[in-house]
Amino acid sequence: MRTKSNQFRKPFVLMAGLLLLAWANALAAQETTQPQDNAQATQTMEKETAPAATEAKAEPAKGFTFHVDPLVLGVIRTHVDTNSSKWEEYRDMSNGFVIPYLHLTGEGSGDRELDFNAKNVRREDARYTLFYGVPGSYELTLDYNKIPHRFGNDGHMLWTRTGPGRLEIADPIQAALQGAIAAQFATNPAGITYAFLNRLLSPYLATAQAINLGLERNRFLAQLDLGRMGPLSWGLEYDHEKRTGNRAYGGSFGFSNATELPEPIDYDTTGAQIAGEWNTATGGLSFGYRYSKFENNISTLIWDNPFRVTGATDPSAYTAPGAGSIGGSNVGLADLNPSNRADLLFLKGRTRFGSWFANASGAYDMMKQDDPLLPYTLNSSIRGINFNGTTFDPTTTANLPAHSADRKINTTALNADLGTRFGQSLDLTFRYRYYDLANKGKRIEFPGYVRFDAVWEGIGRVSVPYAYTRQNAGAELGWDLARATRLGFSFERESWNRKFREIKDSDENIWKVTFDTRPVPWFALRSSYQYGDRSIGPYNVAAGAEASFVDPEDPTNLPALRKFDEAARKQHLYTIQGQFFPSDTWSLFLGAVGNNQKFDESAFGLQKDDNNTYNAELSYAPGDNFNFFLFGSRQDRKVDQAARQSGATPSTNPLDNWFANIDETTDTWGAGLTSNFAKRWTLDLSANYSKSDGKVGLFSPPGGSPDVAVGFSNYDNVKLFSILGRVDYKINQYAKAGVFGRWEDYKIDSFILQGLSNYLPGALLLDPNYGDYRGSLVGVDLTFTF
Amino acid sequence: MRSLRLPIPLLGLAALLALPGLAAAAQASPPPASPPSQSVLGFVGSDVCATCHTDVAEHLTATPHGKGKFASLSAHGCETCHGPGSAHVNNPDDPALRPRIDRLSPREQTAVCQKCHTGGQQFFWHGSVHETRGLSCESCHSIHAFKSEKAQLKAASTVEACLSCHKDVRADMWKNSHHPIREGKISCTDCHNPHGTQTRSLIKAASVNEQCYTCHAEKRGPFLWEHAPVRESCLNCHTPHGSNHQKLQKTATPYLCQQCHSNTRHPGTLYDATTLADQSRASNRIFNRACLDCHAAVHGSNNPSTPYLGH
Repeated sequence: MRTKSNQFRKPFVLMAGLLLLAWANALAAQETTQPQDNAQATQTMEKETAPAATEAKAEPAKGFTFHVDPLVLGVIRTHVDTNSSKWEEYRDMSNGFVIPYLHLTGEGSGDRELDFNAKNVRREDARYTLFYGVPGSYELTLDYNKIPHRFGNDGHMLWTRTGPGRLEIADPIQAALQGAIAAQFATNPAGITYAFLNRLLSPYLATAQAINLGLERNRFLAQLDLGRMGPLSWGLEYDHEKRTGNRAYGGSFGFSNATELPEPIDYDTTGAQIAGEWNTATGGLSFGYRYSKFENNISTLIWDNPFRVTGATDPSAYTAPGAGSIGGSNVGLADLNPSNRADLLFLKGRTRFGSWFANASGAYDMMKQDDPLLPYTLNSSIRGINFNGTTFDPTTTANLPAHSADRKINTTALNADLGTRFGQSLDLTFRYRYYDLANKGKRIEFPGYVRFDAVWEGIGRVSVPYAYTRQNAGAELGWDLARATRLGFSFERESWNRKFREIKDSDENIWKVTFDTRPVPWFALRSSYQYGDRSIGPYNVAAGAEASFVDPEDPTNLPALRKFDEAARKQHLYTIQGQFFPSDTWSLFLGAVGNNQKFDESAFGLQKDDNNTYNAELSYAPGDNFNFFLFGSRQDRKVDQAARQSGATPSTNPLDNWFANIDETTDTWGAGLTSNFAKRWTLDLSANYSKSDGKVGLFSPPGGSPDVAVGFSNYDNVKLFSILGRVDYKINQYAKAGVFGRWEDYKIDSFILQGLSNYLPGALLLDPNYGDYRGSLVGVDLTFTF
Repeated sequence: MRSLRLPIPLLGLAALLALPGLAAAAQASPPPASPPSQSVLGFVGSDVCATCHTDVAEHLTATPHGKGKFASLSAHGCETCHGPGSAHVNNPDDPALRPRIDRLSPREQTAVCQKCHTGGQQFFWHGSVHETRGLSCESCHSIHAFKSEKAQLKAASTVEACLSCHKDVRADMWKNSHHPIREGKISCTDCHNPHGTQTRSLIKAASVNEQCYTCHAEKRGPFLWEHAPVRESCLNCHTPHGSNHQKLQKTATPYLCQQCHSNTRHPGTLYDATTLADQSRASNRIFNRACLDCHAAVHGSNNPSTPYLGH
């Protein structure tokens, strides 16, 4: 995990800054005593600044002439009142000397260019980009981007990492807990309650080790472009990303024993691409191949059950520890994300002939994954069970029906556009899209599975190679009513054909009208409205069971539920935005965006999902020395969904229904100001405020089960207030000094996070801190240009 | 037969393969783009332009249009884009003779740029949504007065350029869960190509999922146990630009899962405030990560014992 050791501890940055400042002063002083030279230089510059086409520019001397603009050296001091990971979610806010920015450019003979860009040097959110080449002829780009992602600080866990993918609890702790539970079970099974278990765990949790959850993505990219501005160009690309760290993972031993773990992350993702492109004045062809490989260096996680030092099984062990059972495995086994590979071939073409244009593209992606399969469980107590009249051992891979996953998916994308213009004002475009996901994975039949590593369930399951084909065909008519006024109509039909899902076929008719105009210089309008009507074929509620069980069980989902991604739907989308320019200095933007969906044929499941956003922005820029903007947005989201609570079979009693009405409002405000308020002085200020207020209204008719429903008023209510400011003083043309600061206040009130602790009924949690914080940063820096 | 059953894929492929031939044949036809000003008085050369437009010329030298490659590709310097300037030079006070590109229609403005910029990212500009909605290169880029470090944008950065119209995304970026866009670690153009693609929302990959896999390759699988809606679109559950809920979820769990899973026993059970009010009786199906506390492998699993995508 992250440490603070990467920050600059030595004051060499400060010393370098002071030396550079002295040098900048000396340089500026020299220039003020040589006005004539300066004037000559300006004249020379003017000559040289004429566009390249005019006449042969004086060739730079061999080698490179370098220019730094800017080099920023500084020091920051931060303070935060909690150890919430949100403060540093995607950034490094540690104290110390910093080089926030370095930009070095070089020019050499033969139009060679070099550009080096470094941000947040040597910090955990650093980025370095190097460009070298002759633009348009050959261009080499190297990029290294470090992206931190912190999920939570100061979590606590009983486990100790003893190897890659191995989390252990000291045997004496497991033995003590198992013994105490067994003693209680022997005397009074009903006494194994949350309070009882909490009392047992508390001493150990009090001394549990702390853990921070987070990732670091280190991305490297190398690109070589050859002949980019010529008729035939080539591009080569290599990329590699190393991801290390951990994130929370739900590794449950049963309904009453969920164990949240730090999933170890050690990923390598490697890609390479070769592409060629041929362009003429009237057409072009582009083609290429991309290779991508993902490797998970820790693909198996084995962790100890806090309540068992020895494995045990019984028919109710998946409910342990509780009044029904205290069995279960001593270790859990999880197969983490498997390594995989993808090979992509792509081809694109375009042409224009007369008043027509045609675009087409095709892509064929072959995704494969063939990781070895793990055994059903490591719970040795399940060995030797009687299964179908024979002794069966689920702890060995020899008894699996297949030894590797052998999964393959091939996707085919074909797209075509054909368009033409009629005269000066009408155009018509036909579009077709075809996307096929062919799942070539074998149907592997498993005779059963081990539930929560605790109980062998002799229920035959079979893997399901879900697949689909999506096609879109449509036409779009545009009418240029005036020079800057356009009316558009379009119709599109989207059709899906799915395999193994509840709905095999669905069709959606999508109508759209757009109107864009700028009738006068001081006003512009962009607007669109789209209506989609999706109809569906028969809904087979048993599809899931039929596909994934060797002997299909009766459907367990509600027959009248329609899964929203397949369901019949009416959708209204709109955008309207107006921009007003009452003068050269003022502008005003007003806009609204909406996406409203209704699922009228769905008796259960998602019924309605409405999103409406209203935006306004005002800006004032009377000159180069001052500008100001104010931005505001309100987003309203309303979601309705329905369900029915059931026991062992789907309920038919309407009194068991329950309904959720989700209402979210998010207000976002932003303002910014830049002012050269005095000679040599510049002020930059910005502030952002975002506040979300969510409620879940729950209702259930009395008399059923549930009988009452109580909603939440803290459906992820979040506030973030952020203020940034800086003042710069221009010392001379080569240097400036700045003072800057940042202040942030973050608060979250989330229903699912309320009252969290390390142990709650049925769950041992990491309980890391990603909650409220109030943080500030102050700093000074020197900026040099030379 | 509800779905389209035409052999259009084959036709599309045939058309694709025929494009180079069409392109070659079309070479014989006259070039579509022509300089905006068609003065018969001819070209004057960039030196003449620079005598008055000193600041513009100075600014241009630091850009690709002021360098050797541009010179090798263009015959007339400034007038390559602006057209012959002699009429303006002879009568500089007549505003009608000023060869201003911003007076042209968006299509005409774009045609000027596309005399050179037809390939690469601009390959599919024709027919793209930004073109058909009346935008031009000048809507986002400026040759002479740009503010960005790269791509000569009118805005200070790619993100700011996109947000100048897509204001709703600006608000999303400030939400609790977001991609590191406002932190500057990724940009809109990592996923979208604003110059045109043949996929919806101008995403660069062939599908939403294939776009997401470029960063989230661990979700690519394919898996032994698949979750069908996950395989179809990540956007069934996630919203990419920002969410108030964890992991860019459209709706918080457990309600997100219960929009599809109202099965017997625990999936269809109501989890309300009473199941959280008393800590000693709270349900592990609603607190923390709710369903995901056990069903951790919602994106797919390879473990023979996890057909329910959880351990």
